[in-house]
Amino acid sequence: MSTSLVTASLLQPAFADPVLDSQRSFRAALKALAGPGVAQSLLSAQTPPHLEGLAAASHALCLALLDVDTPLWLAPAFDTQAIRANLTFHCGCPIVSDRQNARFALLDDSQLHDLSGFDLGNDRYPDQSCTLLIQLPSLQGGRQVALRGPGIENQNHVSLPLQEAFWEERDSRNDFPRGIDVFFLAGSELMGLPRSTQVAFKPAVAKGGA
Amino acid sequence: MTATSAFDTAPEQAARQHWIGVLSRSRRAELLPHEAALRDAEYQLIRAPEIGMALVRGRMGGNGAPFNVGEMSVTRCVVRLADGRTGYSYLAGRDKALAELAALADAHLQGAQQAHWMRELIEPLALAHAERRSQQQAETAATKVDFFTLVRGEN
Repeated sequence: MSTSLVTASLLQPAFADPVLDSQRSFRAALKALAGPGVAQSLLSAQTPPHLEGLAAASHALCLALLDVDTPLWLAPAFDTQAIRANLTFHCGCPIVSDRQNARFALLDDSQLHDLSGFDLGNDRYPDQSCTLLIQLPSLQGGRQVALRGPGIENQNHVSLPLQEAFWEERDSRNDFPRGIDVFFLAGSELMGLPRSTQVAFKPAVAKGGA
Repeated sequence: MTATSAFDTAPEQAARQHWIGVLSRSRRAELLPHEAALRDAEYQLIRAPEIGMALVRGRMGGNGAPFNVGEMSVTRCVVRLADGRTGYSYLAGRDKALAELAALADAHLQGAQQAHWMRELIEPLALAHAERRSQQQAETAATKVDFFTLVRGEN
């Protein structure tokens, strides 16, 4: 009884308009995956109230994407009582400690050197892979890379602040059609990186894409 | 046949199950007179009233194999008072305003004035519900047909 009382005191409201706001967030997520490397912004009016530790875009995407059928894995930085209580309450998603069982994972930039254990889907059901929600301090400020592939006319240049190891990790787990789809989230912005996107490192000087 | 008797629960939990059960069967006209008193506190909506469906299952004769009776509309709501007490409601039907009032009632019932709210709100509601139930049972019982077989004579 006492643990449920503590949990209840941590609860806070989610989307002001649960149906339309989650549809808008879902739409932004769709556009982000359809145009890899193009940042999508959520309007402040349609993002949920601040939840300690989560950026507005991360919180909005969690509320839009998670439900009772999507086990969630939390990186240690996000494994707080407040985040657990609110996501469990508003999304009803089970929170798992084993990466293999997760359909979504919420990571911060300290986790990106090791993406082992996440479900990559299988050849028959590649859609069953785990989708990573990676919260970054910003969507700029790192080494520039060029993205090519479906949804990109020529090349999109992005400079996400990521460790080199992330690109190697992603590459080593990309065995099309199996692989991992990623959302990068910072503030109220999000950017998609589906498994079909090819990444090329560019020299520092490059023509601005996107 | 109460839901609480099936579970071995702490007394305070059983009491809450009782009043939430009573509130879930309450009618709009029964809660509205208490609206001003219930809303007389600062509160925020943690989960605004929302309407959904719940699958009702039953067992033939109370102990047969479970079967799906059908789906019913359920409205739920969660509020939190300024002092941190959280009230939950799950109501049969589609009345959002009623769900909010019932959640407020649950929050008030967990506070220091529990006895007051039990006396003013829950007990009359429980009484009214028991009355409706016995009336319906009486109406149903009046339609009971006793089947009997006449001895078939050959003449």
